[in-house]
Amino acid sequence: MKIDDLEQMDSEDLRGLTSNERRKFLKMGLAVTGLYLGGTVLSLTSVKNAGAAGVVPEDGQYPYSPHYSMVIRERLCIDCERCKNACVKTNHVPAYGFRTTILEKRRSLGGGKHETIFMPVLCNHCNRPPCVRVCPTTATYKDEKTGIVVMNPPRCIGCKTCMTACPYNARYFKEETRAVDKCDFCFNSRLSKGESTTACVEACPADVRVFGDLADNKSRVYQLVHAPETMVWVLRPETGAVPNVFYINS
Amino acid sequence: MKKILLLLVFGVFLLSSGMLLADNEGMEEEYDEDIYGPEEPIVWVKPVESVVFEHKVHTMGAELDCESCHDDLFAMEAGAAEENEDFTMATLYEGGYCGACHDGSSAFASNTRCTTCHIGVRGHMRLIGGDGDEGDKH
Amino acid sequence: MNNNFLTNILPAEGGLEAAGTGKYNVVMAILGMLTLVGVGAGVHSLWVGHEHTFGVSRGVPWGMLIAAYVFFVVTSTGLCIVSSVGHVFGIKNFNPIAKRAVFLSIATIVAGFLVIAFEIENSWRMPVGNVIGANPTSNIWWMGTLYGAYLFFMLIEFVMLQKNLHKTATAFGLAGLLTGVAAHSNLGAVFGLLNGREFWHGPYMPIYFITSAAMSGCVAIIFFTYIAYKFNGWKMNDDMKKAMESVAKMGALMMAIIIFFTCWKMITGVTGQPPGKYEAMQTLLTGTYSMNFWGGEVVLGMIFPLLLILAVRGRNMHVLFIASLAGMIGIFFMRYDLVIVGQLVPAYHGMGLVDYPELLTYVPSLHENLVVVGGIAFCALLFVMGEKLFRGHLTENH
Repeated sequence: MKIDDLEQMDSEDLRGLTSNERRKFLKMGLAVTGLYLGGTVLSLTSVKNAGAAGVVPEDGQYPYSPHYSMVIRERLCIDCERCKNACVKTNHVPAYGFRTTILEKRRSLGGGKHETIFMPVLCNHCNRPPCVRVCPTTATYKDEKTGIVVMNPPRCIGCKTCMTACPYNARYFKEETRAVDKCDFCFNSRLSKGESTTACVEACPADVRVFGDLADNKSRVYQLVHAPETMVWVLRPETGAVPNVFYINS
Repeated sequence: MKKILLLLVFGVFLLSSGMLLADNEGMEEEYDEDIYGPEEPIVWVKPVESVVFEHKVHTMGAELDCESCHDDLFAMEAGAAEENEDFTMATLYEGGYCGACHDGSSAFASNTRCTTCHIGVRGHMRLIGGDGDEGDKH
Repeated sequence: MNNNFLTNILPAEGGLEAAGTGKYNVVMAILGMLTLVGVGAGVHSLWVGHEHTFGVSRGVPWGMLIAAYVFFVVTSTGLCIVSSVGHVFGIKNFNPIAKRAVFLSIATIVAGFLVIAFEIENSWRMPVGNVIGANPTSNIWWMGTLYGAYLFFMLIEFVMLQKNLHKTATAFGLAGLLTGVAAHSNLGAVFGLLNGREFWHGPYMPIYFITSAAMSGCVAIIFFTYIAYKFNGWKMNDDMKKAMESVAKMGALMMAIIIFFTCWKMITGVTGQPPGKYEAMQTLLTGTYSMNFWGGEVVLGMIFPLLLILAVRGRNMHVLFIASLAGMIGIFFMRYDLVIVGQLVPAYHGMGLVDYPELLTYVPSLHENLVVVGGIAFCALLFVMGEKLFRGHLTENH
């Protein structure tokens, strides 16, 4: 081959690759090494925990199916507490405990005036739940299908580590069952019996709480969380728990 | 003791957030129930807990006279509106009850600023001097 | 068979003769009674539920029992560390205290287990749950499992020491030390790995736990050795005095390190007012726990014993005892404050909530106090019994 011929040939160096091809290759490499080094822990392209950039997960990157979540349309809450009462009734919550409650924020409007904002709170069914990590006997775990953080009461030894680990104060010890009790999105009381929503959502007169499958792009939760010009936030994002209860301002 | 005082102060702040047109000078004037209506805030618990109404804010503050609401929108009799089946937000949006003025032009619209009037169970408890339900206590 | 085993490990002669049976019986009776009262309070609490008998709550789920448990296992780990200085690492000065330290490390961890058994509301579910539900990401699982192994190793080590099988004892001593340190740093990690608890979160806890274990071990062995000799009217030989001096000096070094650690914990808790951490730190420094902190932790637990040990260069046994007594009390305050203050800042702090406590409160209930007293009494009972049965834990064949 003459040197001239060589110059005529297609280059085989990286310049010949389209950026898309390059990206694909890189991604594959990262996925492979990530998987090799422990998958979700180190992989830069991890699917399960993606969305660390913001609180709203990237489209299609919901680890569960149905990926149950709740959207709280915060400014509509009027603290009528029907949700609380419905929860107590449905899930047999004793007087000394709660699975969901309503907190109250105050914001200055200037000029000595204030507005009140009611903030419903409940278990956030985190993607990376601290309570599940610390449980010595896996008495609390993330349901593999739905992602709901559930309790297996007979397994609970009552060490209460999950209660100290939860960043949301979502757990209490229920003497009646001798186990920690918490919101399970009404999995035991309703969802498993064919109902499609939780007791608190059903009871809410102001349509504050919206429950559904975040992985379904036709669901209301999906549409609310991904709506344009919407402020979406979660509580205590700094703890890295990746919660599934989203708060919005519209 | 300090805590109770604090609660009271918060309660007052909360109520004052409802004073749309309240001016501070007016507040210093003696409140006369014959002119301005009952001083005690009215709290409706039906159809939802708990909504506050203050004559003071509307009469002394916003300088409305009694005829503005009585007896067309609201009967004089205390608690009468609450018993009506149409005492709902839907009616308000159609210009009934509070919605006659709270329509977005005379006063803020009924479907905005919910917590101005909806003080909720927490606000109600505070108003009547009970303890608010504290999230971290059991 | 059983009798044979016992005669093998119980020294029939030699060593030190315990005090008269009258005095011994009275003390044993009192300690036994207190233990029973504690156990009674614990069983009652399990029966009716902590909700009704304990001061713990949803917001502060861990109370004084956890603090007492931490106190006991820190002491146990420390005693194990101190014992290993002599007969695992071969520093001869430490040999005379080694047997007692091994025995007491067993006594303290057993007392710790007794207390935790009443803090965990369904402790009977633990043996099965720990196996069929084993969770390798849970520090509390590791801690429990490793402490189980630790107790096993320490027991074997003690038996081997009694049988004068020193090589085997050393091997098990090393195994005990390693599992003890692993278990104990995991206990630190139980607190340190909670992202939602700013006061605890970070690498400080496991590191601090090990260092303060070493300090506790030194303090505890001085404390118990002195009482053993005083109570039984024994006279310390020169080797023992030398050992006490060495332990005291090691203790003083550990106290200095703990003071250093505490200074930086304080500074990082205050500088820039880190949310959550700052409020908790202020509670310690100037708030409701400031007496505990400055009086209990700093003065009794660090400054006072350090100064006393330095003042007599570790050579006056009476002064060393006073230092160790102050140290023991101070260390209890350290554990208590660490456990409680870490929980006082409520979950939704710094969000401008109305009618929401800035800080939670916790007061130990009568039941909790009784269980802790019972645990201490049980530990003391084992100690007194051990002195008599094992004739002052003397090490003769070194």
